[in-house]
Amino acid sequence: MLQLLVGQTLNGVIVGTLYGIIALGVTLTFGITGIVNFALGEFMMIGAYVTWYLFDVVGLPFPVAIWPAIAAAAACGFAADQLLFRFTRNNLINGLLVSIGLISIIEAAALLLWTTTPKDMGYVLSGAVRLGEVSIPKMKLVVFALLAAVMFLTYAALSRTWIGKAAYAFSQNPEAAMLMGVRTDILQSTVVVYSTALAGFGGALYATLYSLEPSMGGLYILKGVEAAILGGIGSLIGSLAGGIILGVTEAVGSIYLPGAFRDAYGLIFVVAILLYRPSGLFGAER
Amino acid sequence: MKALLWVPFIVVPAFIQSNFILSIFIFSFILAIAAVSFNLIFGFTGQLSMFHSAAFGIAAYVTSLTASIFHVSFWLALFPAIGLTVFISLVIGSICFNFQLRAFYFAVITLAFSELARLVILNWNNITNGTLGLMVLDKPFVWIPGAGLMKIDGMFGWYFFSLAALIFTVAVCSLVLRSWIGRCFAAIRLNEDLAQTLGIDTFRYKLLSFTLANTLAAISGSLYAFYTGYIEPNYLSINQSLDIISMVLLGGRSSIVGPIAGAFMLTGLPHMIELSAEARAILYGGVLIATILILPQGLIGTLASWRRAA
Amino acid sequence: MLLEVINLTKRFGGLTAVTDVSLSIAAGEIVGIFGPNGSGKTTLINLIAGILAPSAGRILWKTAEIQGRSPHTIAAAGVVKTFQNPQLFMELSIYDNVAIASHLQLRRRFGLNRVTELLPWPHASRHAEIATAIDRVITLCRLEAVRDRTAASLSYGQEKMLGVAMAMMCDPELLLLDEPASGLGEDEIRTLEEALRDLRDAGATLCVIDHKVDFLARIADRAIALQQGAMIAEGAPASVLRHPRVVEAYLGRQHDRA
Repeated sequence: MLQLLVGQTLNGVIVGTLYGIIALGVTLTFGITGIVNFALGEFMMIGAYVTWYLFDVVGLPFPVAIWPAIAAAAACGFAADQLLFRFTRNNLINGLLVSIGLISIIEAAALLLWTTTPKDMGYVLSGAVRLGEVSIPKMKLVVFALLAAVMFLTYAALSRTWIGKAAYAFSQNPEAAMLMGVRTDILQSTVVVYSTALAGFGGALYATLYSLEPSMGGLYILKGVEAAILGGIGSLIGSLAGGIILGVTEAVGSIYLPGAFRDAYGLIFVVAILLYRPSGLFGAER
Repeated sequence: MKALLWVPFIVVPAFIQSNFILSIFIFSFILAIAAVSFNLIFGFTGQLSMFHSAAFGIAAYVTSLTASIFHVSFWLALFPAIGLTVFISLVIGSICFNFQLRAFYFAVITLAFSELARLVILNWNNITNGTLGLMVLDKPFVWIPGAGLMKIDGMFGWYFFSLAALIFTVAVCSLVLRSWIGRCFAAIRLNEDLAQTLGIDTFRYKLLSFTLANTLAAISGSLYAFYTGYIEPNYLSINQSLDIISMVLLGGRSSIVGPIAGAFMLTGLPHMIELSAEARAILYGGVLIATILILPQGLIGTLASWRRAA
Repeated sequence: MLLEVINLTKRFGGLTAVTDVSLSIAAGEIVGIFGPNGSGKTTLINLIAGILAPSAGRILWKTAEIQGRSPHTIAAAGVVKTFQNPQLFMELSIYDNVAIASHLQLRRRFGLNRVTELLPWPHASRHAEIATAIDRVITLCRLEAVRDRTAASLSYGQEKMLGVAMAMMCDPELLLLDEPASGLGEDEIRTLEEALRDLRDAGATLCVIDHKVDFLARIADRAIALQQGAMIAEGAPASVLRHPRVVEAYLGRQHDRA
């Protein structure tokens, strides 16, 4: 039983980092552009499918295949920003609805290109590691390490570099930042594109572990938003923490309670936390 | 008077006999009830609720199951459905509105509960038959002076039945919105803090708006179930909520009847144009985006403002 | 005593905005509160109106405790405030703005009977009473000319008067005004003074916060001076203005030019 608990917890942590990378994109986008980009899940899907295509069909080595995948996601993100999100800055409802329209379009395009037949990518790294009684596939550890590393790097970049400080200043007081010479339009577009690149990166790694379907985006954006809320929108560390907590809650919940309701446990947990601490676990008191 | 606008709808069956077209009208009427009621909480009170499809779906199941298990009429079966909808609305509304959470969190929490409801229905196989869905074989009976008890079955019956239900919905919304309650809704939508200092109990009125909207959605769902004869858990999906939101946005959220136009467009057009499912999805997404960016007031709203400006 | 504030304190994290303030307001008075920025005036009003809950202390309205209650309950009890930056329903017309503010009056005059407004047939008599009240308030605040224009199209002075009009429409027993004269021109200040005196004659009690010391001196029966969240003087306006601690707080500052 303990073995099951530990195993499931570790699984939850790893899935949680996937939730976390989306949550990071959600939190960044909300902080700088004032909207929640519900289509981030679709950009994750783009990254996943392009990686699969380049690795499985074209035969490129994984570390090479991953870059065009991220670029593809980022390019689509740039297009979306210029054509759509540019006009919905700070308008939460409009941004939400526009991104939902975008989901329809991207998912339909994916269905046309790749159909509903799940695609399973070949092994990138096989074999497992034994931690006591528990066995974990090496690839899962790599995924975890990469995602966590990227999230910490993002956090470091934002707190130390000039761009990061400009972004922080902008999120506190947009007018003042603008008056001090921060190119706010470029800043906002950059953040949108970066968050879609993050999602694409997450998708590329997702492809190494799970099978791909065009509907995967919808599930992950929901988890990403839940994780972002749990951790506190606006907190970068909160997105990683929120993601992991969400993943673990779902995994552990499935042990003791019916697995069919897996998605519900996370939801209930998030709602409960939200009522107790409206700003999320790490968010700022408003 | 505005009541005259209904006349064309009443005479349509005299001219159009095609079952296909009448069916589109019936679906549009029933979904228009869901759209108009959604506009109560969204367009008029300014709260984005993602629970609407859940109210629609839960009521569909409760009405159908009550009618088939307990062998009661459609009307009697409506009572537990509406009762449950009111109860759930009060619970969820109390949770959301009591804590002064921002509008975004209301959307997320209602989404959470909606998904929860869908999962419950999906997995409660003994009663709901899970993904396979349920057949609804009963039909409603209506007492009509002169003809006695008539079964609503067949195109003409359903046409007038659903039209009557839509007129009822619009009448209810109209009466509520024209009263002081409607003014409170507007106050909450425009400036909630100010509304509070003017003595408006925003919690109470948001709860009222949410409950009323869900109750009318419950009626819509029950009608839909009895008309199509089949219900499944996807009735409670996020996609269904999004369909309803799109109808409201497309038709216009600042009027009571705008959503009716949206319902017709989004129900009728996909059937008129032969498209693959994917092409339809792309079109639907495109229309949603175009409406937000180009016609934020929706069709009816834009027409109305042109008329005012002229 | 209509309103009693007892040892009221409000802390925001490390900052204490209001420190141990005690005051009382009798029925029919016009009390003026003044003090430099950061002296806690708006916080004090927000505490009385229920927008903030105190860290310590009590507020008694007609001997019942109201501290920490919700704003709409306090408004319903008869205490209404205006906002320093006018809060309006921007999309709506002046008339509609004031009509929304008639909520409390409607409730008081008709109670549960107002549910009959939901019936389809006309109820002209009930509407007429409230409509008359709305018209009266609009005229009192000199807003008849712009009655049908949207609130967004008003000048700053008119916005402030609309804020006062909406507060008046709530039929308050105690009206708390947060800097009603700031940004107003001479004429508008005069209109405001007339409206406020009319209100007092009709039976309301007023508590006015402002920077404009001469406006306060003209209109208030009693003045209270605040500095950094604490009360430093109280009494007749003229004597408070000459009080050594007040002069010291304002040393080097001239009277605000109106």
